[in-house]
Amino acid sequence: MAGKKYNTPLIDDLEKGPWPSFVTEMKKAAKKSEMSNDALGHLEKCYATKKGYWKHGGIVGVLGYGGGVIGRYSELGDEFPGVAHFHTVRINQPSAFFYTGKALKEICDIWDKYGSGLTNVHGSTGDLVLLGTKTEHLENIFAEYSSRGWDLGGSGSALRTPSCCVGPARCEWSNYDTLDLTYNLTQEFQDELHRPSFSYKFKIKSSGCACDCVAALARADLSIIGTWKGDIKIDQAEVKNYAKTMDIKAEIVDMCPTQCISYDGKEMKINNKECSRCMHCITKMTKALRPSGERGATLCMGSKAPIVVGSLLSWVIVPFIKLEAPYTELKDLLRKIWDWWDENGKPRERIGEVIEIKGMRSFLEAIGVAPQPQQVKEPRKDPFMFYTDEDMAGFKAKEAEEKKTGKYKF
Amino acid sequence: MEIAELQNKIYAFCEAAKGKKKLKEKDIIKGVSEAEGVPGDEVKKAMRLMIDVGKLMYSYGGGASSVEIPSEEYLREKGLIK
Repeated sequence: MAGKKYNTPLIDDLEKGPWPSFVTEMKKAAKKSEMSNDALGHLEKCYATKKGYWKHGGIVGVLGYGGGVIGRYSELGDEFPGVAHFHTVRINQPSAFFYTGKALKEICDIWDKYGSGLTNVHGSTGDLVLLGTKTEHLENIFAEYSSRGWDLGGSGSALRTPSCCVGPARCEWSNYDTLDLTYNLTQEFQDELHRPSFSYKFKIKSSGCACDCVAALARADLSIIGTWKGDIKIDQAEVKNYAKTMDIKAEIVDMCPTQCISYDGKEMKINNKECSRCMHCITKMTKALRPSGERGATLCMGSKAPIVVGSLLSWVIVPFIKLEAPYTELKDLLRKIWDWWDENGKPRERIGEVIEIKGMRSFLEAIGVAPQPQQVKEPRKDPFMFYTDEDMAGFKAKEAEEKKTGKYKF
Repeated sequence: MEIAELQNKIYAFCEAAKGKKKLKEKDIIKGVSEAEGVPGDEVKKAMRLMIDVGKLMYSYGGGASSVEIPSEEYLREKGLIK
């Protein structure tokens, strides 16, 4: 089907080596799609000239939605007509990326009909990404997918499609049902997902434990990290078994970030008050160690990649929250967070940046979360103590009284 | 205020900003609500009805989204004009 055959020595290099290559896959697609074929030639030209020729954004989309389609155009439309329009379509993925073979086939069949056939499963936001279609096909694509129960994902200044780790579906360490929470939040915030009304993007990612398999802590505005309140239960017989093949001092005790574990060659002890629930010891000694007690999550805010200012990691705002359907507490908190961001953020400012500018103290006060020791990110930072006018009047009255009675000491 | 009249006010608000400022949804809600003394929820509802039928549209550039009056190109592509 493909017309012009492109000579691609530079990108051919990317097929060498032990790993699967996207170039190989593009070549397969190029055999049956003119768009993919031109995308291949276009990519080679980008490598040869060391220039990107893509233009991004604009007014493409489906009627009524403000997200889900990202307009892409090439400056080299005359030379590579197949990529003159090469829009990206984001499909809202199922929680934790569970698909049946039938569902995947359905997605690909529709995409072969209207697009390049190239996909990105999954994009870093989490959506199933379909790469390369023309403006005139967008409404048909949307109609076909939505008639089969699929929906578009988020893009632009909107809530991005929430995503999560595999959670309790396949992982015994999950402290809450990440899949249910993600599905529930996606349904609750359809408006925020499809109709961009924020200052900039807002991502929610949910991990069942501190292993953080979706890297929520580094790339979500709201990172929901599973945790527990009880002690780590120790099976001393299994510890002995591990000692036969593992250097427990080097691999566990010395690597504990809070140094709360001790091992004397016979027995392991954990000072649970000092434990930060990082999961390191548990994942290394799965048969010997196990969380116990109440399960829930820590809510952290503000991570992002460097765009306006440098990259940020998420910051604890709620040390522990129970996460059970219908998740009312979390949803109410999210609405307060968005209201504060809307009042204070400028266009293209992520919430983490606004917290940095305005201060965690004003943020916590606005969302009604009490200051707590766990929120202190690093030593010698403002502990977010709030002094109201009443407090200050009280201090002054006390000071005046002490001065009067001679008890005042500066 | 009748919804049609409110939609005219919203359209005028967007038209006044055309070429000068990219309006977020909330800029329109806040601006029209304050100017006309109409609750924000009503403005939001009226505006979204306009977006649903192509009287207004979402636009996107540099990572940020805005609401604006549709171009002829957009209306033609959606089959709303010939």
